[in-house]
Amino acid sequence: MTEKTVEQTRTFTKMVAAKQGWVLNPDAAFYEILAEGLTTNWNRHGYFLCPCRDSDGSRETDRDSICPCLWSKDDIATQGHCFCALYLSPEFAASGKTPGSIKDRRYGD
Amino acid sequence: MNQEQLPWVIKEGPRTDRDITVYALSTCGFCKRALAFLDHKGFRYRYLYMDQIPVDTKNEIKAELKATFNEYVAFPFVVLDGKSHLVGFIEPDWVRTLGL
Repeated sequence: MTEKTVEQTRTFTKMVAAKQGWVLNPDAAFYEILAEGLTTNWNRHGYFLCPCRDSDGSRETDRDSICPCLWSKDDIATQGHCFCALYLSPEFAASGKTPGSIKDRRYGD
Repeated sequence: MNQEQLPWVIKEGPRTDRDITVYALSTCGFCKRALAFLDHKGFRYRYLYMDQIPVDTKNEIKAELKATFNEYVAFPFVVLDGKSHLVGFIEPDWVRTLGL
């Protein structure tokens, strides 16, 4: 497995945001924690496990939590941001609100 | 299991009236925000990065927390005075729960 740098992770998140029409968290310090967390998870597990979720131990069981996670589209549409608040809807970002934790739908609605 | 042998980090602070235990992930933005909040408010607390301990140990702790509090463990997961808990970091909830 080739290790990734934080810069490579930043590029990944920018590509995801651009493709989906999302906005990266504008709080630079918060964004950096998440970019570094994603990088740690890549270098630890071999995939971009959500930085706010822990591994169940295998790629197969973690599949739904690999960034962008299974619930990201719906959470961003309904809550304004994804579970870890890496990606925001343009409307939420424009509102100036600060994201807070939301329910982890990995464990059901 | 005996959690006392785990690599807890103890943060000192002038507010010692609450027994605060934080289960967190080193990679998580809301966990870092929660710890910074406790620091800023001057609480004494302890935290454990669950992604930095063996998976079997972590899963055992999660199972114990779920059994005790009847809630799936998401992070940060905070135990207050050994009897109540908070999941996630929403600052107004923490302010209210901690009586600030």
